[in-house]
Amino acid sequence: MIYYLIVCKSLTYAQRTEAALERSGIGAHILRSPQQLSDSGCSHCVKIAQRSLTTALTVLKRAGLTPTRVFITESDGSYREVAL
Amino acid sequence: MIFLDSAATTLQKPPAVARAVAQAMGTLASPGRGGYPAAAQAAETVFRCRETAARLFGAAGPEQVVLTTSATHGLNIAIRSLAKNGGRAVISGYEHNAVTRTLSSLPEVQVDVARGRLFHPEELIAEFARLLPGADFAVCCHVSNVFGYILPLEEIAGLCKTYGVPLVVDAAQSAGTVPLNMEALGAAYLAMPGHKGLYGPQGTGLLLCALGVEPLPLLTGGTGSNSKLQEMPDFLPDRLEAGTHNVPGAAGLTAGMEFVQSLGMERIGAREQALRRQLVRALREIPDLYPIESPRPELQSGVVSLVSKTHDVEALGNALGSRGICVRAGYHCAPLAHESGGTLTTGTVRVSFSAFNRGWEARRLAEALADVTGRSNS
Repeated sequence: MIYYLIVCKSLTYAQRTEAALERSGIGAHILRSPQQLSDSGCSHCVKIAQRSLTTALTVLKRAGLTPTRVFITESDGSYREVAL
Repeated sequence: MIFLDSAATTLQKPPAVARAVAQAMGTLASPGRGGYPAAAQAAETVFRCRETAARLFGAAGPEQVVLTTSATHGLNIAIRSLAKNGGRAVISGYEHNAVTRTLSSLPEVQVDVARGRLFHPEELIAEFARLLPGADFAVCCHVSNVFGYILPLEEIAGLCKTYGVPLVVDAAQSAGTVPLNMEALGAAYLAMPGHKGLYGPQGTGLLLCALGVEPLPLLTGGTGSNSKLQEMPDFLPDRLEAGTHNVPGAAGLTAGMEFVQSLGMERIGAREQALRRQLVRALREIPDLYPIESPRPELQSGVVSLVSKTHDVEALGNALGSRGICVRAGYHCAPLAHESGGTLTTGTVRVSFSAFNRGWEARRLAEALADVTGRSNS
């Protein structure tokens, strides 16, 4: 299944991100970021479905929650960064 | 037992607080340290505590709410973050040792005290107006822990805005009883305990930080974020929260804040003030005692100090304690406030109410004091 990971600068921001998306009817789930997505060590990200990205970015911009980085899963299980 | 020392800690808590603590201890792990359900639920619990506090006190967002161990902890962070070599701080003459000792430990900071007689807010405002220009920061308590004096915080905050001086608010005695909005005040930091007017467990506290402040960590260590870096994260709340969170404390504090929200701070405060007025009326019948009450009732919270013409305050406190009535006697860790209030040589017996006290308890205290002092007009 293809999905996006929105990397957040802290767990609290990930929680705010998840809450903002859920309030807008977008299914979101907090995960610890895979190590390959995090340059400086442990971080948290929010997983959303492929179809939700555009709306999610609009919602987050409105809420003042700019994502640090966004990644999409590849068919081989790796991640590719999405230019915002 | 009659507990009338809620300015120290509210011993009587809503039952939901203990339930939340017990549930957290039995089911929750460490937030941010794992992806498994017990860690995720712990993170949710801590986030809910931040959200509730942000809503209750007008913080810009949950990430601006830092969990501390006490108001003192938060005040230390705030003061040490704003202090600089050769700098100058302005404080009110009613500050607690949490402020004055912290500043004393920073000899490179000049401290100017804005003085004003007890229950004369206009004098305090004038002093702040005189001292604030050119200061690096100001610290002001919202309510005096000794006298229950509600300081003119809005006016002082307005002056701080005018002169561009960051303000640190010590809300140790007001959080939960006097409405307070950080954004409206424009304060840089707002420090409060969790275990007094917010009815959380002891060992909990909150530091609310304004957007754009640059706080210095008091502790360094693991945060569950940016783990490869040796510097503390530059974002809140992680920057100020090294080490494992007090998750049961956060769970209990949330339950306490929800209790306060459900009753309303104004209603709780008004009730406590009514109990204080009832007590003072009764104490005025005892010639040996002098309760220190504001002629303007709106300037005093549910805290009242009293002195005796013939009895040592500690002896009074002990005598009441032996009758099952819990009050606090002495200097209440605030010699500066006693200096301002004129009780530095005697100390006081302090009576402080909570949402759980009733009128009969105030009556029993007055009867006990009449008995202990051996005198009564009636």
